[in-house]
Amino acid sequence: MADDTKSAQAAPVAAVRAASISKAFYGVEANDRVDLDLRWGEVHALLGENGAGKSTLCSVLAGLYRPDSGEITVEGKPVVFRSPSDALARGIGMVYQHFRLVERFTVAENLVLGHPNTPIRLPRSQIEAEIGEFIEDVGLPVSPSARTWQLSVGEQQRVEILRLLYRGVRVLILDEPTAVLTPQESHLLIARVRKLAEDGRAVVFVSHKLDEVLEVSDRVSVLVDGRKTGEVTTDEADASRLARMMMGRDFVLQGRRKEPSVPQVRESEPAEAVLVVSDLSVLGDREREAVRGVNINVHRGRVVGIAGVAGNGQRELAEAIAGLRPAANGSVTIDGQDVTHRSPRARIRAGFGFVPEDRLVMGLASNLSLRENLALKAYRRPPISRGLLLSDREIRRRAARLVEEYDIRGGREELPIRLLSGGNLQRSILAREISEDPNVLLAASPTRGLDLAATDSVRRLLLEAAQGGLGILLISEDLDEVRALADTILVMFEGEIVGEVDPAEFDLEAIGLMMAGVRRS
Amino acid sequence: MSTALEVSRARLRLEPKERASLTARIVVPVASVLTATLGGAVVLAIDGHSPLEAYVELFQSAFGGRNPLVRTLLLSTPLVFTALAAAVSFRMRIWNIGGDGQLMMGAIAASGVAIALPRSPFWVLIPAILVAGIVGGMLWAGIGAGLKVFLSTDEVISTLMLTFIATHFMEYLIFGSFSYWRDPESVAYATGKPIPEVAELPRFWGRLHVGFLIAVLAAVLVWWVLKSSRWGYETKVIGDSPTAGRYAGMSVSRNIIAVLCVSGALAGLGGAVEVAGVNHTLQPTALETGVGFTGIIAASMARLHPLMLVPVAVFLSGLVSSGTALQQMGIPIDIVLLLQGLVLLFVAAGEFFLRYRVTLVARRGRR
Repeated sequence: MADDTKSAQAAPVAAVRAASISKAFYGVEANDRVDLDLRWGEVHALLGENGAGKSTLCSVLAGLYRPDSGEITVEGKPVVFRSPSDALARGIGMVYQHFRLVERFTVAENLVLGHPNTPIRLPRSQIEAEIGEFIEDVGLPVSPSARTWQLSVGEQQRVEILRLLYRGVRVLILDEPTAVLTPQESHLLIARVRKLAEDGRAVVFVSHKLDEVLEVSDRVSVLVDGRKTGEVTTDEADASRLARMMMGRDFVLQGRRKEPSVPQVRESEPAEAVLVVSDLSVLGDREREAVRGVNINVHRGRVVGIAGVAGNGQRELAEAIAGLRPAANGSVTIDGQDVTHRSPRARIRAGFGFVPEDRLVMGLASNLSLRENLALKAYRRPPISRGLLLSDREIRRRAARLVEEYDIRGGREELPIRLLSGGNLQRSILAREISEDPNVLLAASPTRGLDLAATDSVRRLLLEAAQGGLGILLISEDLDEVRALADTILVMFEGEIVGEVDPAEFDLEAIGLMMAGVRRS
Repeated sequence: MSTALEVSRARLRLEPKERASLTARIVVPVASVLTATLGGAVVLAIDGHSPLEAYVELFQSAFGGRNPLVRTLLLSTPLVFTALAAAVSFRMRIWNIGGDGQLMMGAIAASGVAIALPRSPFWVLIPAILVAGIVGGMLWAGIGAGLKVFLSTDEVISTLMLTFIATHFMEYLIFGSFSYWRDPESVAYATGKPIPEVAELPRFWGRLHVGFLIAVLAAVLVWWVLKSSRWGYETKVIGDSPTAGRYAGMSVSRNIIAVLCVSGALAGLGGAVEVAGVNHTLQPTALETGVGFTGIIAASMARLHPLMLVPVAVFLSGLVSSGTALQQMGIPIDIVLLLQGLVLLFVAAGEFFLRYRVTLVARRGRR
């Protein structure tokens, strides 16, 4: 059951070789004659923007998709995978972006589930003991008897990896494993992935984050628009070279860290407060205080950033401000109106715009068309609303205008919006929210999971809106983002604001300490 | 690691379709019905009947000529109402499966009002009956809505249970008591009081009553309201994602109540139309045909489209109304039901081809 891995010292042997893989969906080439080879003992990073074809290539390797053409060989022998279980039988397994665990099962049950050698009946204690031993050997700590739904995302991911290893997988494919993790968890994962490779396995690590790729990999393959544009050993690579390869054009790396090129007004002229949160406490899902006595003032034309590791009350804070979760104590005032106990609709009327963290479930009705989604708030007012009826013509007109103005690409207006890419989804939400001309905009993780170009455009939109007089409350885990956009940085830890930082005196270490709960006196 | 295993043997490839073309949406159901017909022919032949004769008879007795067609349309009238009730609520993913109960309560309210106003002119009485049916069905579904919104009771359970209560209540009114609804002169076999003659829905084209036109009108109205009203838009958003609805400032509870009330109202109106158009009294046996559940089937087959469900309801009713004629040919009732079941099964299975693209992939040679 446990794998018989080769020793790390052995010279690199091609573990898996994919030759000239092509795969098209609806006539769009997701992979166009891509070559990739994986060696034992190596972490091979797949780098590319959203939609570059990374996930497709991984799914082909893992047997989920069948390539239209091309060949896969495992240790020199050609193979054809008809299903993921064929690939598993050859020792190739993939951890998908969306986990495939049975949430009600324990960790041990998830591991033995589907394992060919699992007997029909086996006492739970015996399974757990065996799995516990296995987990210890591998060195990915998680309790075998824990119920999966109780685990954090990082732990669930470990279970996914363990499950594959338990089935004897030696070629491990991780599709954007850090997208769902906090920065701390990412670092931990990277260390463990290194260890797995050093034990002789081959690992594919998909990412669009340069620093991670540099940290984790031995070699890097770069995909652009379904084609492989280059392969380098990580030792020879540096961030700007990879960025150039990935963008398929010259790209200024600092673009991400640099202040976006829109000039900012930072003078301390007095501006009215459009959002005042005072002494706000909010209960979390488990009836525990998730937000405790938070005070925030957002002024017209200013950006207040809230930095912090996810899970420290940011989501509950955002929902309480939006009216989706009741406040246990304190008050929320939007443009002078106390809306603490008012409905989400009353807040929208008071001029509240919201870019929620969860784009496809909260921010959009994903099966409705782009057109219908762009009307999500404007449908109540003329010209779209005509008494009890809606004007289809105005809905179309508005959609056409926003698509043009905000450069929303890649979809016909009448098709379900979920078909758009992440960047276009986010631009759609921003287009809708900003065009409502709110007084204050709450943006929660607005660029999470977006590629560089999309991130840049979203940040630009936010800054332009701030320049136009919008007050923005930005909640983000990305310190670079908070630093680039915010006029004031607040640090949140365990439901409290533990510090305030002027971005001009940005001190990474000090903020890092605050985020980790070490208070500055 | 044997090479034989590595040879591809799968020849069918499935890909989900984003949207079925209009042609496919017409061709597939027609093909499904034809396939079911072929399957049924085999069964008929095995049982010693001529498939051709049976099918000719089936068509003739359902749609061939005025009288068969009128019978089918009469049968389809309550079905259109319950199918509309299902479609309206299912579109918001509210599963009102109590169309039967709401139809019965509509019928009880409508007959009650009709008996109570014996001397009114028809232009007062008929609207009053229809409104009573609407109110009766609405209140009955409203109970389910209240339970769901205030006590988080699953509407599947509550609307189903309310149907049982409505059934027994209606039976009690006629068979179990000398209630206001029961004709006191009926002793040996209990019947309801007849409604005033002026309250009967006008007939045209033979026995067909205007209730069928009301049903078609209701379908058009529901289609138009869902398509072009603010409320229709809200139900669509909430049906897709209640979270997104709340985020956009919509009241999910209010919409649940509204959608269930409208759904119940449609079923209740169906009950009123049955009383005023066909039975002319509260007749429990005529209302206990499970038309609410058939309505769910009709609505699903029409993909919850308010206009499409009218022809579907007529088609399903045709299958039912031809049953008697087939039995008269000597085809056992079981085979008749089997033929009907085959059609439903194939049409439902045909949906698969609208959702997936199936392509034949050439078998690869062995290496």
